[in-house]
Amino acid sequence: MNTFAITGRCIASPPPADWREQLTRMLGAKPRRIGTWAELGLYGALTCMADAGEAGLPPEAQIWLGSRRGTYTATDLALAQLRDDLPMPLTFLQTQPSQFLAMLAARLESRGHACFLADAQPQALLRLAAAQAGAGGLLLGWVDEMNGGSSNWLRLRHAEAAAHEFVAASAEGLLHPHVSHLHLDSTGLRIRHAD
Amino acid sequence: MKPVYLAGRGLACALGLSVSDARAALQRGEQHTRCHVLPGASGGNFPYHTIPYQHNDSHERARILLQRVTDEAGAQHARDGVLLIATSSYDIGAETRGAIKSDYGTYTDKIAAWLDWRGPVYLLNTACTSSLNALLAAHALLQADDLSEALVLGIELDNRLTLGGFAALQLLTQGDSKPFGAQRDGLVLGEAVAALRLSTTTPADWQIAGGANVVDGSQPTGASATAVAEMYHRALSASGLTAAQIDLIKVQAAGSPGNDAVEAQGLRDAFTTMPPLVSLKAAIGHTMGASGAAEIALLSVTLEHGGWPLYRDAADPTLGVELAAQPPASVKNFMATILGFGGSHATVVVQRA
Repeated sequence: MNTFAITGRCIASPPPADWREQLTRMLGAKPRRIGTWAELGLYGALTCMADAGEAGLPPEAQIWLGSRRGTYTATDLALAQLRDDLPMPLTFLQTQPSQFLAMLAARLESRGHACFLADAQPQALLRLAAAQAGAGGLLLGWVDEMNGGSSNWLRLRHAEAAAHEFVAASAEGLLHPHVSHLHLDSTGLRIRHAD
Repeated sequence: MKPVYLAGRGLACALGLSVSDARAALQRGEQHTRCHVLPGASGGNFPYHTIPYQHNDSHERARILLQRVTDEAGAQHARDGVLLIATSSYDIGAETRGAIKSDYGTYTDKIAAWLDWRGPVYLLNTACTSSLNALLAAHALLQADDLSEALVLGIELDNRLTLGGFAALQLLTQGDSKPFGAQRDGLVLGEAVAALRLSTTTPADWQIAGGANVVDGSQPTGASATAVAEMYHRALSASGLTAAQIDLIKVQAAGSPGNDAVEAQGLRDAFTTMPPLVSLKAAIGHTMGASGAAEIALLSVTLEHGGWPLYRDAADPTLGVELAAQPPASVKNFMATILGFGGSHATVVVQRA
């Protein structure tokens, strides 16, 4: 179905101790009132893009994000506020993962498609994203706050490669640092290691 | 390119518990709202389009509505295909009542079990554009994969968090929704469960021709005219059509003072000759993540069997666009548009097969 080169990655499970300082340096200012989940997401996505050597996404690039718990921390907070009053506007907005997608799109000067898939495992996210991927490729992420946090991202560009160079892999294999290409078809996921 | 047919549809909304009931109520000019009272300085009495089906257990109510709507859409023919659940609120209605404490995985598993689903299941959230983006994803998957069946299931059920959040953002009116109206002053929300069954092997009257979603992060809670125009251009390109071939556009037009004006500007930028426009928000409310699927289900049935929304309020002449008072004589291609939080601008092109 699709072959992609991995041109950038950020594997942060958990992120380094100074990830907030790194994020502040990348943004040029401390992020304000966007919530930890969105901060973690920005940290991983921007690190991945820096690794790919890209400051922004080209036209027709798409952003796809998966998460097991997503914005649950913000949702719990909004529900607590709702007991006596309306939720705070910014807290309510933080319950919507699309707010993070908007922030990231603005930062990367992207006006393409962006989508959040709840509870999506890497292979499921990749399958759906690959079906819609345009010429600009994909920025794929998996972000969660629990267990110390994680923010794993891949920058994928369409590539040509001989089918025999790929080996079958599990979804976890996607995030291995020595994987340079991946191929997805009706038989499943296959990967190619860097030379 | 394989044709992707709209092989079945199901709907529960404020107008009724089936597509045909909702169409008949629309034709009679009915509008059904109940009042929700919210606390706090920005609180008050807010109208809300409620599905006319009561149950003292919100969990059971959701199960019965989902099974009913998916049965109507013919889900029994699609259970080995892909299920795309589109929602911005998940189980939050049950959580606000203390009924459950779930997570995404539990929610997905529960719905799959209710529907006896055997194929892959995705849970997608792009706020109000969720079910249109699920439709675009299903269309792409059916084109790319060996799969022949997909079900898009939009779900937004009554909950205080969504209503409270919109109220806190001062987006709601305490009166009626007035799409593109001169006196428009905010949205009226509603609940809906909508199912669209897509098939590459079961021919039907309508097919999905393509579409586009443009995320413009410069306006995280509202629309951008540039993005609206770009969305239409991309959707036309994706579906291989020209602007002149579009016979009808179902616009967002939820009655927001600012967003309606921005949407109108984007429409004027995209279309030299404006196709007839229709809005269903005054009839069923803004049903957020379910709205795309719900409004396609309702609009397609009205184009087949009659019915048209009634606009009770004077149009805003400054917008430069207005809603059609009558359905077009014939519709081969229509676009269904939803604009949502997160700068998401989505439209899907639906075509007579």
